[in-house]
Amino acid sequence: MSFVDLIYGKHQIISVVGMGKNAGKTVVLNKIIEEAYDRYISLGLTSIGRDGEREDLVTKTDKPVIHVMEGTIVATAQDILLNSDARLEILEVTNYRTTLGPVVICRVRENGLVELAGPGNNDEIREVAKKMLIYGADIVVVDGAINRKTSASPGVTEATILATGAVVNRSMDRVIEETAYQIELFGLEAVKEQTLRDFAQEVITEGCVGIVDQGGEYRKLPLKTALSAGRIIGSALTENSRYLIFSGSLVKKTVDELIAVTPYYKDVKFVVQDGTKIFIPREDWMRFKKRGLRIETLEPLHVLAVSINPYAPQGYEFPPLEFLRKMKNALGLPVMDVMLEGDDFHDELYG
Amino acid sequence: MGLEKVDLTKVKPYGDTLNDGMVQMSFTLPVSADEEAKEAARRLAMKMGLEEPSVVSMKDMGPGFSFFVVYGRCAASIDYTSIEVPKVDVETMSKKEVETFIEENIKRDITIIGACTGSDAHTVGIDAIMNMKGFDGHYGLERYNGIEAVNMGSQVPNEELVAKAIELKADGILVSQVVTQKDVHIPNLTELIELLEAEGLREKIVVVCGGPRINHELAKELGYDAGFGTGSYAEDVASFVVDEIVKRKLV
Repeated sequence: MSFVDLIYGKHQIISVVGMGKNAGKTVVLNKIIEEAYDRYISLGLTSIGRDGEREDLVTKTDKPVIHVMEGTIVATAQDILLNSDARLEILEVTNYRTTLGPVVICRVRENGLVELAGPGNNDEIREVAKKMLIYGADIVVVDGAINRKTSASPGVTEATILATGAVVNRSMDRVIEETAYQIELFGLEAVKEQTLRDFAQEVITEGCVGIVDQGGEYRKLPLKTALSAGRIIGSALTENSRYLIFSGSLVKKTVDELIAVTPYYKDVKFVVQDGTKIFIPREDWMRFKKRGLRIETLEPLHVLAVSINPYAPQGYEFPPLEFLRKMKNALGLPVMDVMLEGDDFHDELYG
Repeated sequence: MGLEKVDLTKVKPYGDTLNDGMVQMSFTLPVSADEEAKEAARRLAMKMGLEEPSVVSMKDMGPGFSFFVVYGRCAASIDYTSIEVPKVDVETMSKKEVETFIEENIKRDITIIGACTGSDAHTVGIDAIMNMKGFDGHYGLERYNGIEAVNMGSQVPNEELVAKAIELKADGILVSQVVTQKDVHIPNLTELIELLEAEGLREKIVVVCGGPRINHELAKELGYDAGFGTGSYAEDVASFVVDEIVKRKLV
C-alpha cells in the first residue's frame, strides 16, 4: 500500500498536517513525490509554511530537501524561487502575498530541488490549489507547517494525511493517545438530517450561534462569536433544546462556561463545521465527554493515513516496530513509518 | 596602530584582537561541582569545537548541578557576505507620515490590539510598541492619531484575544512572545492563527508577531503576516500594518 494508492482517483487536493514540528510532514511529501513519479502522476505542490529549506528555523536541525520531477507544478514565494536548483517555467505570478514575496506558480522543466512557501491562509491555499489543477496537476498536495491543522478543513482540502511522532511527547503512550484524540476530532460523526444541515449551514454562513429545539423550532442567537460567550449561550438553552450550532471555533472555555450555567447541555448535540474548529485539550475533552458532551460536525474530515516518525530532535527515540504496531492498533487507519525502509516487509507484518 | 581590515568572508569572534576567535559561554551540567565536573565542562567545550578552552568559573548549583563559564578560541568562521535574511519589506514611515497615510489612504481610524499571549507575562516588548510613552524616544501606538490602540497586557489567552478582536472589529493584532523556553511560543503562536482561521477572520486582520526569537522568516511558517525581532519600534510595526491594510484592500 502506498500514499498515492490512497489518494489517486479519489481525491484531487490533499493536505499533510502535523502534530508538531519535525513530525515528518516533508518526508511524507517526498514519499508521495516518489510514488507519483513511478506511476506517471503529475503533482501540484505547495506549503502553508516553508519547506525544503535545509535548516529548520526553530530547532536548527537538518530538514529533508524536496526533489521534484519534470512536469510537477509548484506554487512558491518569489523570494525563495531563486533558492531552487530545479529549472522552473513561470506560469503565473499570483496576487497572493506572503512574507517572502508574492506566490508564483511554476512548472518544473528539469528535475531538481525546490523550496516551497505558498499562501499562508486557507482561502488563498484553496484558490492556488485549484489553479494548479487547471495547470495540469493530477493531485495537489498542500504541505502543512509546525502543528497548524486548519488546512485539513474540508473547505480547503478534500482529504488529509496526519504526521505524528516522538516529537509530540517523551512517552510513547502519550503520543499515541494524543494522535488518537486528533483522529477522533477529525472523524467526528456528521449531522445527517437534511433540514438540520441546511439550518447549520445558514448559521455558519451568517457567523452566529444557532439552537434547534424539540419540535423543530430554529433560533439564532445574535452573537458574532461563541468565544467568551459560553454563559449567554448556556442561558439560551432550554430543556427542549436538541442541537447547538457553532459557526466558528469551539474552545474549552466556552464549554466550561456553558456547562456551568445550564444542566440542559446533556440533551443537546453540539455541531461545529468540522473537526479543525475544536480547540479543547485532550484531558478536558475526556472530562467533558464524561459529563455528557456530544459533538457532531457538518463536514467530516477524511483522514487517509497517519505517518509516524519514531525519532525526536530533542534526542530520544521510540522502538520503531513497537511504535508502529501500537499506533496501528490504536487508530484503525493505515499507519506508515516513513523512515523505515522496505515497506513490503511491514505490509506483510502489519498491513 | 592602523585598523586592520576585516575579511567579511571569514568573520570570527573578536576578543582582544581581530580574528582571535575568543568566545565566552556558560552552561549547567547535571553533576555536582567537583574537579571531574570541571574537566567534563572543558572537554565538552573542546567537543563543541573551541580550541584551548579554559573553565574560568564553576559554581555549585545545589545537589547534582554545577554552573560553568568557559572561555575558548573559536576556530570556525562565517562568510558574512553570503548571508541574506528576509526582513519586513516595507519602508518605515515616521509617526507623522503614518498618521497622514491613514488619513489619506484608509480614511478612518484603525484598531490595533496588542497582547502577550499564553503564559507569557513579559510585557516589555508589547509595551514598548503600544504604550503612549513608547521606548527609546519612539512614541507608542497609543499616541498615534488615527490608531485606536488596545493593550490587553500579559498572559492573555488566545481565545480572549480573538474575542476582543471580534468585539472591537480589529484591523490588526500584535502578539509579543518573550518567554521561549522549550519553544512554548511556537504552539501558542500557531494556535492564535488556527483560531482566527476557525472564526473566519484570518484574511480580514493583519496579524503580526514580535519578540527576541521571532523573525520575518519564522513568521511565514507560523502563519503571520510579519515578524519583528529586537530593535523594532512602533513606527516599524505601524508602517507595516497600515501598508498591509491598504495592499490587502482591508480599507
